[in-house]
Amino acid sequence: MSDNRHDKLDLLLRARRVEAASPDLAQRIILKARGLPQVRNIALWQSVRQLFAEFRLPKPGYVLASALIIGMLVGFSTAPDNSSIQDASSSTAHLYLSGDEDLL
Amino acid sequence: MPAAWPEKDDHELLALIQDGSGQAFTVLVERHTERFYRLAFRYLQNKAAAEDVVQDAFLKLWENPANWQPERNSKFTTWFYRVVVNLCFDHRKRKGPVALLDEDLPLIDDREPVDETMMRAQEQRVLEKEIAALPERQRTALNLCFDEGLTNQEAAEVMGLHLKALQSLIMRAKTTLKERMKAYL
Repeated sequence: MSDNRHDKLDLLLRARRVEAASPDLAQRIILKARGLPQVRNIALWQSVRQLFAEFRLPKPGYVLASALIIGMLVGFSTAPDNSSIQDASSSTAHLYLSGDEDLL
Repeated sequence: MPAAWPEKDDHELLALIQDGSGQAFTVLVERHTERFYRLAFRYLQNKAAAEDVVQDAFLKLWENPANWQPERNSKFTTWFYRVVVNLCFDHRKRKGPVALLDEDLPLIDDREPVDETMMRAQEQRVLEKEIAALPERQRTALNLCFDEGLTNQEAAEVMGLHLKALQSLIMRAKTTLKERMKAYL
């Protein structure tokens, strides 16, 4: 009896009805996908290459731009040396002031 | 000589889709839409909802083809079944279970001879209602294992289970169904 019920259940499970899909389902999916962009994972070096390609600078332009950037980096990294100017001005002040002390 | 489009296997097509090939995507969709629709319909018991789920699944694949990682998945169909099952879960959570049975329709009417066709139709409706009431994993196992295109081993892979665990789920599901459908078996 139990085996009959088991077999009958299996028959019912295999006979489960599936309503047919719309005949144009695949085409609808394909058409919809055409309007969608893909997210692409690309390597870092490829994205840098793409970036330079978009600039479209001629090679001399790269050289000038590089020189400018390097110059600015060097300029900002070198602190101006004001110590000798400060020493000169303070020693002049001392001389000026000490002159008055002699009179006193 | 390169294979014609319909002769390319799924892995080849996916590699081409990852390179942006619309033609490869077309072939893959035409090849597999029916089978994934059938699975979605078994879950949702609603044609429009099943079509939406299958469409969403394929569009996600097109938009993010890198989600397919061949080194982690042996077969496209196994992986994509998982995607479709997850989308069916999400759909049910959002929309709730679909009403399957007219509550006013008597399950068995002994007053007059029952037409064989009507009887079969009623059995199927009751079966779908009882399957929908099963725990999620048991329902998933049944839907996958009784899909004509899938072996039990593949169904186990879709669910991330050992074969024995899947068989245990099937056994429990059938035990419940046999009990609830006594009148029809």
